[in-house]
Amino acid sequence: MFEVRDVHVAYGAVTALRGVSLEVRQGEIVCLLGANGAGKSTTLRTASGLLHPLRGEILLGGRPIHRLSPEAIARIGIAHVPEGRRIFPGLTALENLVLGASNRRGVRHGELEADLERMFGIFPDLERLKHALGWTLSGGQQQMLAIARGLMARPEMLLMDEPSLGLAPILVQQVFAVIKEINARLHTTVLLVEQNASMALAISHRGYVMETGRIVLAGTAPELLRDPQVREAYLGGRRAG
Amino acid sequence: MSEAAPVKTTRRGRLRAVHVAPALAVVAAAALPLLFTSRYSTNLLILGAAWSIATLGLVVVLGYAGQISLAQAAFFGIGAYAVALGTTRGEMNWWLALAAGLAAAAAAGAALGMTTLKLGGHYLAMVTICFQIIYTLVATNWVAVTGGPDGISNIRRPSFVVPLVSAQRYAWFALAALLAVAGAVWWLRDTALGRAMLAVRENELAAQALGVNTQRVKVVAFTLSAAIGALGGAVYASGYLYISPDSFNFDHAVSFLAMALVGGSESVLGSILGAGLLTFLPEWLRELKKMYLVIYGCAIILVIVFMPEGLWGYLRLLGRPFARQAPPPAARRALRVGGRGTAGEEILGVEGLVKHFGGIAAVDGVDFVVRRGEVHALIGPNGSGKTTCINLLSGLYVPTAGRIRFLGRDVAGQRPSRIAGAGMARSFQNLRLFRELTVWKNVLVGAQRGGAGEAETRDRAAAAMAFAGLADRAHERCRNLPYGHQKLVELARAIAGEPELLLLDEPGAGLNQTEKQDLVELLRRLNGMGLTIVLVEHDMSLISRAATVATVLNFGRKIAEGTAEEVLRHPAVVEAYLGNREVALGV
Repeated sequence: MFEVRDVHVAYGAVTALRGVSLEVRQGEIVCLLGANGAGKSTTLRTASGLLHPLRGEILLGGRPIHRLSPEAIARIGIAHVPEGRRIFPGLTALENLVLGASNRRGVRHGELEADLERMFGIFPDLERLKHALGWTLSGGQQQMLAIARGLMARPEMLLMDEPSLGLAPILVQQVFAVIKEINARLHTTVLLVEQNASMALAISHRGYVMETGRIVLAGTAPELLRDPQVREAYLGGRRAG
Repeated sequence: MSEAAPVKTTRRGRLRAVHVAPALAVVAAAALPLLFTSRYSTNLLILGAAWSIATLGLVVVLGYAGQISLAQAAFFGIGAYAVALGTTRGEMNWWLALAAGLAAAAAAGAALGMTTLKLGGHYLAMVTICFQIIYTLVATNWVAVTGGPDGISNIRRPSFVVPLVSAQRYAWFALAALLAVAGAVWWLRDTALGRAMLAVRENELAAQALGVNTQRVKVVAFTLSAAIGALGGAVYASGYLYISPDSFNFDHAVSFLAMALVGGSESVLGSILGAGLLTFLPEWLRELKKMYLVIYGCAIILVIVFMPEGLWGYLRLLGRPFARQAPPPAARRALRVGGRGTAGEEILGVEGLVKHFGGIAAVDGVDFVVRRGEVHALIGPNGSGKTTCINLLSGLYVPTAGRIRFLGRDVAGQRPSRIAGAGMARSFQNLRLFRELTVWKNVLVGAQRGGAGEAETRDRAAAAMAFAGLADRAHERCRNLPYGHQKLVELARAIAGEPELLLLDEPGAGLNQTEKQDLVELLRRLNGMGLTIVLVEHDMSLISRAATVATVLNFGRKIAEGTAEEVLRHPAVVEAYLGNREVALGV
């Protein structure tokens, strides 16, 4: 169980989170919806230790983790796939992927190879481009690389920030299918931030809606899909009206 | 009438602030030589003025244009030697000698500026250091001309209305020169050239794409900076009446840089503050004997570490609660995009376009035509060459082969600034804003496309801000805005130049459905005003709502073309790109 309790975060004088509480149970996919600037990415960045809360706490299995460094959080099995393709531009795709597994200790070579094969199975483009330097990949290929690198950590829990950003429709569908598959097969818990609300809710168990640094709505995915407010704001419901 | 009243008072308040600061500066300049009457302190005042002028040169090249220069002492020296040699051996009029010095420094500055065309960052720093060291070697060893290490004495002072023989009179002259340069550098910031420099500093690629000739701007910045440095040197030489190469060596180049950084390299007042402080501080600390260099060094390190924008940046931060918010710019006319032409005629023609990166063909023989009035979508799987295409069209890449016709002229391989100048604007996939500048400044840079005059630039910018609904946020720094607003600023900046063709690279990425709907409305309105748009986008529901025509690429080749409706049903497109059509279209 991953719990965020009454977390407040500020960037200098600007308050970004004003008491966020949410929980993600073992094996769940939970999505976080909301407009730009609502605090979704900040929540993920706090969970992965890149930011530290002014108040409140974050617990993993009952143990507080909000004062740990990002490396320590990665080592206990929480992998963050950041927004905007933060890959290592000067390294090859393969090197990027292998580095993704650096949180794991004593990994056998064969095991690493098998994990790489699995990634290439999901993202065939990456196999073709495994010796290309990161910066030479197109925007979408970089996004795929960032996701695959996160999965190489074999995380207990995956924090994903806008995995569909800049991907072709067919890849968006594949990425969401992959997230669902990882969750089903490996029981990886997923906390997902996504603008594509309908796709995110389609694979999520539950969801939260954020506005100006607060959680304003919580529910199961089907409940949120039916909610008129959610439809209006995040599912393009206004188009019909 | 009740609405007009407060606006009027604000304007009057601003006018007052604008007039009070220079008036105070003039009073201070007039009073200082009367307060510092000893020969020693008058000399210090002259030194402070000369060094401040040289530091103002760094404001132009480093603060505005963002190019590092560690050669300012060399330019300072060129001005000093010109006056020294001219008035002693040459028996020249002081002003003539000064003119020769400015010309020589400007020429050397331009030459040094040329190296920025190839180099940047630490390589550029190395080149300027080399220039500085060669200068010192020449000044020391070319004894026949420079007098070598012994230097030159008996330098004369100029006449300005009256002969400026006394130290006090000369101090007034030095301070007047400082005021004039300070005024000019301050004024420069709000001109088209000054904004172009700031744009180069913030994001060179984006500046090019908005029509800024970044190479010319950098050379001009170095040239101006060198000439200003030389003026400082001339003031110095006639102040001390004696010069030697020691005053123009690398140590001094570093201390000019320190003055600019300590004061705030972007600010005129800050740089004078920094130069003044570092002129007087060693004198105040002199009683500490050997410790003084340690304290001096530590003080500089502390300021640079804890006040990244210098003393002035810090003071401004303290004064911010009292600062009056300037009113948002009012649009005096509507935006005029799209140019004049008949709908349906070719605006952009691409023939056999090829781009190889090493052995990989990113774009492999693409042809398409964009007609006036279209919203033309360019879609395809990731890595299919869409962004490469946009970069080729806008001139950021030079094509390996093929032709690009824009408004009937072949523009393939032309500089991005020329293509932008001809009326093609673009946005970037990953935001490329001028992050440290305000929204208004960002949009102004876009608006000055094609050498529009200042009044026209402001009209265009205000119209673009009003169109995008950004007027209220005009004076906020871009980096402080949320992502969605930053995307809007990039759009406003692109249309502020009133282009005929707009290229948008994933404008919808990272926006939610509501924001995307607003974007569609915005694009429709722009298209309605006559603007032709080329759109790279992955959101098919956005494409189907906004685009009229679509070209589909895969592996660098065109695989389909037609109306958006037709293309999205094409079996090859569905297979390679859309996957589940219903899901992709969000129906």
